[in-house]
Amino acid sequence: MKRKHAPRPGLLLLLFTLWCSAVILHAGVPEQAASANASLVSGHPNEALSQYIGILGTRAFSTAGSPELWYNRGLAERGGGDDLAASVSFRRALLLDPALVPARSALSASLTKLGVPVPSSWKDRLAGRLSPEFLVLAGSLAGWIGLLALIWFLFSAPRRAKRIAAALLLVLAGHGAALLGTWIDPRRTARDQAVVTEKGSPPLRSTPADNGTALGTLVPGGVVTVISRNGAWWYVSAGPGHSGWISAAAVTPLLPAGL
Amino acid sequence: MDFPRATLTALSAVLLAAPLTAAVAADISAKAELSRAQVSSGEMAELQVRVSGAQDADVPREVPVDGLQIRLTGQSTQVQMVNFKVTSSVVYSYVVMPLRTGNFTIPPVSIRADGRQISTAPLGFSVLPAASAVQQQTSGIPQTPRGMAGPLQRQQRVAVRPPDAGRLAFGEIECPKKTIYAGEMVPVEIRFYFDARYPVQVRGKVDFGSEGVLAERFPDPKESREERDGTTWNVLTFRSLLSAVKPGTVEVAPAKLDSQMQMPGALPPGFDDPVFQQLMGGQSPFSQSRDIAVKTAPLRLEVLPLPKEGRPSSFTGAVGQFDMDAIVPNPRPAAGDPANLVVKIGGKGNFRAMGAPVLTGSDGWRSYPPTDRFEGSDPLSYAGVKSFDFTLIAREPSEVSPGVEFSFFDPVAAKYVTLKSKPLPLQASPGGAAGGSSPAGAPSPAGSQPAAPSPEAFKEGDPLPRLTFRSWSIPVRRPEFLVATGAMAVASLTLAAILALRRLRAGGGTEASRRRRRIAELRSLLSSDTLDAAGCYQAAVEYADLTVSDPAARERLLPALAERRDALKFGAGGSVSLTREERDDLLAKLSVPVSRSRP
Repeated sequence: MKRKHAPRPGLLLLLFTLWCSAVILHAGVPEQAASANASLVSGHPNEALSQYIGILGTRAFSTAGSPELWYNRGLAERGGGDDLAASVSFRRALLLDPALVPARSALSASLTKLGVPVPSSWKDRLAGRLSPEFLVLAGSLAGWIGLLALIWFLFSAPRRAKRIAAALLLVLAGHGAALLGTWIDPRRTARDQAVVTEKGSPPLRSTPADNGTALGTLVPGGVVTVISRNGAWWYVSAGPGHSGWISAAAVTPLLPAGL
Repeated sequence: MDFPRATLTALSAVLLAAPLTAAVAADISAKAELSRAQVSSGEMAELQVRVSGAQDADVPREVPVDGLQIRLTGQSTQVQMVNFKVTSSVVYSYVVMPLRTGNFTIPPVSIRADGRQISTAPLGFSVLPAASAVQQQTSGIPQTPRGMAGPLQRQQRVAVRPPDAGRLAFGEIECPKKTIYAGEMVPVEIRFYFDARYPVQVRGKVDFGSEGVLAERFPDPKESREERDGTTWNVLTFRSLLSAVKPGTVEVAPAKLDSQMQMPGALPPGFDDPVFQQLMGGQSPFSQSRDIAVKTAPLRLEVLPLPKEGRPSSFTGAVGQFDMDAIVPNPRPAAGDPANLVVKIGGKGNFRAMGAPVLTGSDGWRSYPPTDRFEGSDPLSYAGVKSFDFTLIAREPSEVSPGVEFSFFDPVAAKYVTLKSKPLPLQASPGGAAGGSSPAGAPSPAGSQPAAPSPEAFKEGDPLPRLTFRSWSIPVRRPEFLVATGAMAVASLTLAAILALRRLRAGGGTEASRRRRRIAELRSLLSSDTLDAAGCYQAAVEYADLTVSDPAARERLLPALAERRDALKFGAGGSVSLTREERDDLLAKLSVPVSRSRP
């Protein structure tokens, strides 16, 4: 008679605890979001915006984000006439989900309105088609399974070259996909990026002071790379040979504060 | 002095890479220029944004100016190498179409090149009332009578005089139209002829274009051979598209192609013997290179402005001959789901400058800017189909899609044409939670929703109601991923270790362990009384072979033991036990301790 393994009580308890934590953490968020959506649709973007800000400030979003909420917040900001802030929200939505087509369209429209080139690198396009998260997780899983199979085939007798080659291919393809997913993931470099949100082309200065020599100006809505932070002044780069100090108040980090 | 081949290769690579590195490291700058700072209503101008020091850049597709429509139409890249210094620039061309008269300021165009953000200087632009300039532009140009086929259709073929006897190369340019409309694209063919007797090497790309004229990038040329005036010519044929934005007479500079021909050189003394030349097949082995810039004749075009009269409000710059088709891929989307309306514009014309069609009767819909895709049916992308995909969100229950209107200027008929598509069947309704202007939770209009609401029923495209939660960190930086990766690494190592041990055990262990085990067995046998004399010496020979490593000792010990073993084995006394003295002596020679259990 076949013996059936009963699930271990410890594992069940752990899963139940995790589920309860998730439910408690996200309790009320969908209802609040629906209320904010209703405000937005009924033509009250400022009211909707304050609700979205409230939702995104809760503990549920201390380490995670919701691309849809950021997109909706961007719509509210755009409805309120703040295209700069909206472009930041749309960029954040795309960080979390590069395949969110409405966010891409909305960002494109906002940037066109601001006169900023729409980013269209091959990495963005690929990430929009292939989820980086899926590539990393599925690729890693396949790679490790391939490695275990490779070890097994290497030590089993007689050795079969075709099986070993197939397992090696799985290892390379799996880990290669994971590497690609990591490479194209926009979140990889987001920690060091910021959006210029000061209207009127803020200047880049040679020294971290208001009277520093102006080296050039930055375009509102454009993205810069933050190289170092020195209090209220950040040393940023807008491209090779185009670096300088800018007031921290003139830019908004691409990742929300507190992360 | 002989250099290793690898060294020479590396040196060559460095020398070749140096100019490229210089190009990459070059300063990047941008400059915007208008073909004309002042135009009349109904005319267009060209805005060129030249980005120097880069071969590609991100530029906006449109430049927003109230009262003007400025749309990107194309780009061209130029790479020059002078004294091993490479300079590259890319020119982006925009068509500036006035929507009203007045003075305008074209704002700085923001460009991102090589990860760097730069912008151009603002430009002033004036649009005057039409009357004065129409006279100016049309003077001297034969106007097409109404009802007749548009601008002149006769083919314009301009060629350099046929080659003289000593001529080595020449060029021809062929344009099917002499008079074109602003924005109209016409195919142009440029042929370069090279005397087939001499080898030729083409250097660089075709240099073609003028102010106010846009030439598309030339695809790879077609090679052929042609007989003309008794001479055989190798022909390189380039095809491209030409368009002009500046009304008036345009003199397009000759197309130029730099090449190098291998010409027969003078024979040095001693080699000018006719017999030697005959031996070489009539060809001189001493050739010299000659740089030749092959040019066509200039091309003269009359460019007519697009008529202001009868210009439809839905005209967005399309010039050519088009037809339109609209489809709704999914005519019954779920409540709240977005629907798609795909509009396909097919035909021949300026697809790049073509704007999107206009939706009509779209009050009950929320629409996004369409995405577009072009599928060319020829290498020049002159003919093909451009699809515009509109995403539509129903604000209220609807049975039909919005209509579509698309206008273009037909240069053959010399008039504007407006194509209209009737609304198509499309049953869509807004989501329940946030549909239309209803507040959250309000009941949907009767009959517009399925009876049993599903999660999809509360979804609306704008804003998005269904929430997902994702981490701000990439997977490889998350603790759970690192723990899982570590666990898999440990599992792999454990599996490898287990399998390796199993294999080791199946094979009797390592060589050293097998040797150690055998020595212990032999020592035990030698110490016991279980072996007869021959067997004892056989074990002694094997023991000495395994344990004595000193060559001199082996030389002394092994032959003696083997001799005694053979004597016992093949002679008498092999089957009896050894005497105690001989046994002790043997064990002493082998340095084996004598068993104490032995009596």
